[in-house]
Amino acid sequence: MAETAQQRFVCDSAMDFLLMETVSLMQEGFDSIDEERDAAYARMEQLGHRVGMGLAERATRDRPRFADNLEVVKFICKDFWLLLFNKQIDNLKTNHRGVYVLTDSSFKWFSRMSADVAAETPQLALVHSAFPCGLIRGALSSLGVSSSVVAEVAAVPQCTFQIKFR
Amino acid sequence: MESSSVGAAFDATNTSAKPPSSFAVLCIAVIGKNNNPLLVKSFSTRHQELKFHYCCHTACDIVEERVAPGSKNLDLYLGLLYCIEDLAVYGFMTNTKIKFIVVISMSDAAIKDIEMKNLFRRLHNQYIVLVNNPFYDVEAAPKITSKKFLAAVDSMVLG
Repeated sequence: MAETAQQRFVCDSAMDFLLMETVSLMQEGFDSIDEERDAAYARMEQLGHRVGMGLAERATRDRPRFADNLEVVKFICKDFWLLLFNKQIDNLKTNHRGVYVLTDSSFKWFSRMSADVAAETPQLALVHSAFPCGLIRGALSSLGVSSSVVAEVAAVPQCTFQIKFR
Repeated sequence: MESSSVGAAFDATNTSAKPPSSFAVLCIAVIGKNNNPLLVKSFSTRHQELKFHYCCHTACDIVEERVAPGSKNLDLYLGLLYCIEDLAVYGFMTNTKIKFIVVISMSDAAIKDIEMKNLFRRLHNQYIVLVNNPFYDVEAAPKITSKKFLAAVDSMVLG
């Protein structure tokens, strides 16, 4: 199913806008800023989880079985990220004891973000990292791996995902 | 309607439609991650559905043996799992630990691998469509009631 660059651009933009709006929507209806952020984060993560499960099913269709956990993480870094963002994860680190750190140096959904005060951007961008965390966690759980995924944003557009296998 | 002179047991409920493959599928089953049956669809007039439940139950154990860590075959298609009485059971396990089981009646004609793989591939594609339906709860893994999926399974066997 070949798609033109234009079609891809339209789809990616639409997705970007949808996610931005969804995050705002999830933040409604709460009194304090902290509650808002936690609630929005949790809901987005759950959404990402479900979407990730479906995507993983599609992405692993014609692939041979995974030999071990490292292969599963490599799949996330390469094929899964390629499917989502047309690029791969830039850096993968592991401590070989079930903790993996994935670094994306120019995360697609952060590429056009900026705040009034430049220093605040990473903090505000954190809520937007909930959905991709959920995506990774959903994909992993549908492949049979129970994990927890946390994101760190040092400076937009860079984003780091830390996967802890349970 | 059976006729034992016509090759092996052609055991289909609808004899006027020609099945798309050369063998007669008696049962198609989809088993979830936790070995819970999502769908056990029987196309046999001769065997009870319970029998196919037993077949799938045994098949689960065999599948787990085949995919145990350390096995060299990393294919999704698991081939013939085992034979019991006049039935042959074939298996396929996706990367997301969903198992597809196909039970056919054994015949003298050789079953081509490629035809089995085609059947499993079509099943897998339908299952992917089902999972991407937001109204289907993958984690709770209830029995499959989607009309689209059931219709597709019927068309795979009955043509």
